[in-house]
Amino acid sequence: MNPNLLAAPIALPLFVAALLLALSRWGGRQRIGLQRWLAAVTLTVVLVVALALAQFTLGGQRLVLQMGGWQAPFGITLIADGLTAILLTLTALVALAVLPFAIATIDLHRERMAFYPLFLVLVMGVNGAFLTGDFFNLYVFFEVLLMASFVLLTIGGQPAQTHSGIRYVVLNLLGSLVFLAAAGIAYGTLGTLNMAHMAQRLDAAPMAVRALLAGMLLVAFGSKAALFPLFFWLPSSYHTPPPAVTALFGGLLTKVGVYTIFRSFTLFFPDLLAAWQPLLLGIAGATMLIGSLGAMAQPTVRRVLSFHIISHVGFMLMGLGVALNGEKLAVGFGLSAAILYMAHHMLVKTGLILAGGAVEIEMGGDRLQSIGGLVGRRPLLALLFFLSAISLAGIPPFSGFIGKLTLLQITLDSRHWTVAGVSIVASVLTLINVMRLWQEAFWGKYEHPGRLTPWLLDAPVRRWLVLGPIGALLLLSLGLGLFGERFFQMTTTAAQQALDRTGYIAAVHPVQPESVAGPAETGGHD
Amino acid sequence: MTQLILALTVGILFACGAYLVMRRGQIKLILGLGLLSHGVNLLLFGSGRLTLGQPPIFADKQNFLADLARGRLADPLPQALILTAIVISFGITAFVIVLVNRRHTITNSDVVQGELVPLLVEGDPFGAEIREGYGYDWLAYEVDEVYERGQMDARGSRVSPDEDESAALEREGYDQR
Repeated sequence: MNPNLLAAPIALPLFVAALLLALSRWGGRQRIGLQRWLAAVTLTVVLVVALALAQFTLGGQRLVLQMGGWQAPFGITLIADGLTAILLTLTALVALAVLPFAIATIDLHRERMAFYPLFLVLVMGVNGAFLTGDFFNLYVFFEVLLMASFVLLTIGGQPAQTHSGIRYVVLNLLGSLVFLAAAGIAYGTLGTLNMAHMAQRLDAAPMAVRALLAGMLLVAFGSKAALFPLFFWLPSSYHTPPPAVTALFGGLLTKVGVYTIFRSFTLFFPDLLAAWQPLLLGIAGATMLIGSLGAMAQPTVRRVLSFHIISHVGFMLMGLGVALNGEKLAVGFGLSAAILYMAHHMLVKTGLILAGGAVEIEMGGDRLQSIGGLVGRRPLLALLFFLSAISLAGIPPFSGFIGKLTLLQITLDSRHWTVAGVSIVASVLTLINVMRLWQEAFWGKYEHPGRLTPWLLDAPVRRWLVLGPIGALLLLSLGLGLFGERFFQMTTTAAQQALDRTGYIAAVHPVQPESVAGPAETGGHD
Repeated sequence: MTQLILALTVGILFACGAYLVMRRGQIKLILGLGLLSHGVNLLLFGSGRLTLGQPPIFADKQNFLADLARGRLADPLPQALILTAIVISFGITAFVIVLVNRRHTITNSDVVQGELVPLLVEGDPFGAEIREGYGYDWLAYEVDEVYERGQMDARGSRVSPDEDESAALEREGYDQR
């Protein structure tokens, strides 16, 4: 397979975004329709590329591209393994599902303020973070996706948006600064920033360096992934942008943080995976519990769903915590379950936020106490919301069931009773929460807080642009649930690939002639 | 000695930045973020070791690594990293300033408040005077209420400044429907 394909998920959205910007400023016409079509075509092509990569890498191989022909520690490496390919596919699916909803619901003002180019740049940043094999490049892609998300969050300039925007920007910036400091320390102590090369040299590095780097990365990536003590930015900002933007963020952003935690712990610190297991599982348990308890107290649909994102990130971290455990089960079973859960979460969560957004737009507000009785008016939306909700809560035959079952099985098998118990409690709380949403928004007397926008689900094309993606995501979730075993085999391949760090290093193959010695090996700062 | 000075500078920048970021004022927040990113940039600079008076240019292509180890040339990589980091932090700082400015024009206040707590302009350290009908910052309320701005203004003040947010929610009847 041609390794140049690896650049496509990054380069294509970037170039099309630039083209859209140029088009929208050229000749005084915005060409919104053309922008929409080009964005859709781009994302479809990215999906095809991601599927091709998944087809290739899930056979157990890795695909490596050394940018510009520079050999490994000197140039920038792009590398795709199973984990990367699965996440690229999911990213493209989520983006393709959100795009029609955005076309139907985003107002013309935002569309004119470069909404579609920003959308593509966000996708490019996410893809880049998944693909890169260079530590500093990872930082740059994080900043790219954060910059796009800053603007998407605050575009339109509603008072609440600027208010939450400040918190979101500042807390994410602090996380990025910790990451950047970690990159500086890594270069100072290891003398390299190529991830495979770093992994090689970390084996010989003193424990203090390893623990310092692991701690800083856990803080930096944990703040992006909204782990327990660092999650505050998420529920205080996700309810302010338009629903389409929230769905895109909820589907993609925290998952980049989770992916980087997975990658850094499997590649850089596999021994800390065992040594820090109580810490990881403790954070996972606290995150699950805080997320689902916080959701109980929230007064609006989107705030409840935002808190659920936090809760589910805890489940994924639990899978990483038990990645190497399991007495009766194969190695990598835990990580595999976590990846499967991530796939379930990205599809279902996006669908549910879209459904919640449709409710919000339909009702003219999403404060639970002032809405109700939608089931009689919009039965199809009600059905889609209900099925997405029970999929999120983990009722078979949807994907939530298989995701939670495999995670629970490995946790029980490795005898971590407490965190397994916490995860069951969190699941029950999730079920209560989504049923609360269902009851408040769809049952009871029909009421709405005032300004109605009846155009949304009555307009012939818009109706399907809104309901179509939710239904498609639901079908994917159903497929993931019904063919769970097949998908679980794929994620197991991906997990074993991710845990096989010698294979990763060999694939990147950093050159090191005798004379090549970084500051770490020569030592002795004067 | 040079290294000690560099390390102390980085530490002081981090400490001042962390202090400023934790303040309520938005201007202090911006200054704090600036100091923190300077601290990180200096840390990156120090990661390539300190080489005094040498250019980051390879004169001898064969033995540059030996030269690097002996301190005959400066490591060019951290400088490239810092350049990237400076550009990024510059962009983000500009964005934050615009955001803060936008917020200031809306609220006429510099204070960052917690969620659901209405701002009292009286409490603003920059001392904006309370104008007629401009007592509170309603930003802190839910987005749907902000959308329904007309309704919001008509209702007037529902939460007195002494009340905390949970009491306010309770009085609004969230729990006793």
